[in-house]
Amino acid sequence: MRQPPGAPARRVDGSMSLLVDMMANTLDEAYAERAARTAGGGPGGPSEQDPTRSGGLGRRAVAGLVVLALGVVTGTAVAQVRARQEATTGLRADLAGEVRDRTAETDQLAREAERLREDLDAAQAELLGADAAGRAAAEQLRLLGLASGTLPVTGPGVRVVLDDAPPPEDAPDATLRGGTPLDGRVQDRDLQDLANGLWAAGAEAVDVNGQRLTALTAIRSAGDAVLVDFRPLSPPYVVRAVGDASALELELLDGPTGRRLTTYASLYGLRFSLERSDELSLPGAGTPQLRAATPLEQEDTS
Amino acid sequence: MIPALALVVGVVLGLVLEPTVPAALQPYLPIAVVAALDAVFGAVRAQLEGIFDDRVFVVSFVSNVLVAGLVVFLGDQLGVGGQLSTGVVVVLGIRIFSNAAAIRRHVFHA
Repeated sequence: MRQPPGAPARRVDGSMSLLVDMMANTLDEAYAERAARTAGGGPGGPSEQDPTRSGGLGRRAVAGLVVLALGVVTGTAVAQVRARQEATTGLRADLAGEVRDRTAETDQLAREAERLREDLDAAQAELLGADAAGRAAAEQLRLLGLASGTLPVTGPGVRVVLDDAPPPEDAPDATLRGGTPLDGRVQDRDLQDLANGLWAAGAEAVDVNGQRLTALTAIRSAGDAVLVDFRPLSPPYVVRAVGDASALELELLDGPTGRRLTTYASLYGLRFSLERSDELSLPGAGTPQLRAATPLEQEDTS
Repeated sequence: MIPALALVVGVVLGLVLEPTVPAALQPYLPIAVVAALDAVFGAVRAQLEGIFDDRVFVVSFVSNVLVAGLVVFLGDQLGVGGQLSTGVVVVLGIRIFSNAAAIRRHVFHA
């Protein structure tokens, strides 16, 4: 860089003159220029009341109009942003309302189905109770219902509680199922084992957290959640089984299932408890889907 | 006093009337407002420094809005509209802050 000898020393931030200008000269230079021009031409110098500088009434009106225009544009912009926000939140509210409506509708339909099922059962009992063949058929229907899990069941049995391991003191992430590490969680396989063990030990009816197990009920997992009959359940898992209580207890204390769960409890900290109960009330699984039917006339003729 | 009143009246008018703006112009409204605000703050500062001039104000106001809108429009055509909007807002924002600081010095002498 060549520099004339008499030139003033370069500013340290000279290479950033654009930024310096931007920060330093914030007032429109036109004001200063105009002021200098009128000050040079007019005798009185710059002053507020000087009519040559402050312009006539017309110019003042123009300035006022310009500011008014600024106000209108600002108000319009604000109104638009608000309208856009309202449109978004309104849409969300609409969707939430629709979800609520549909849920209520579903609940109401479920209640209606329940009521119709009761009507159906009553009508069936009345019709079948008329003669001996009907009563036999009703009894068969009842036994089938008990076996298939569609009817509620009451009786003695065992109540097993299976829960995740307690979270460690230094839980790394407390938001994940109480901070329990993956190893210490009850998996769908554990519940499958338990249910199969109970069936094998002679259980007549089993439910998990109030979900009755039938021949068609799946115990699976989706992500962290254990699904029973496609309904997500959360721990602790209460498994109730109606049947010969002592046989069930023996299986759970000394059978393969019990031994496996006890091992898991000592290895991973799963919590596992067992108690006998004289009176367990298991809900029915609801009406199964109709998969096959035979025409009535055929049955009549046969 | 009158300009402040005009500003308030304008904001109320805009909020109440909600004039429909062509969709093509909508992205430029906020930029126009910021550019105009810059001119207004400059005018207030000039007023306090005793060198205010109506004509300079009106011309700087209109040209500020037009240039800012033009820059952003050009940016939109080139595909960098968002970045240029940010640039315009940053530069004008710095100027607004500096002018506001100067106004503060004039008013409060601090």
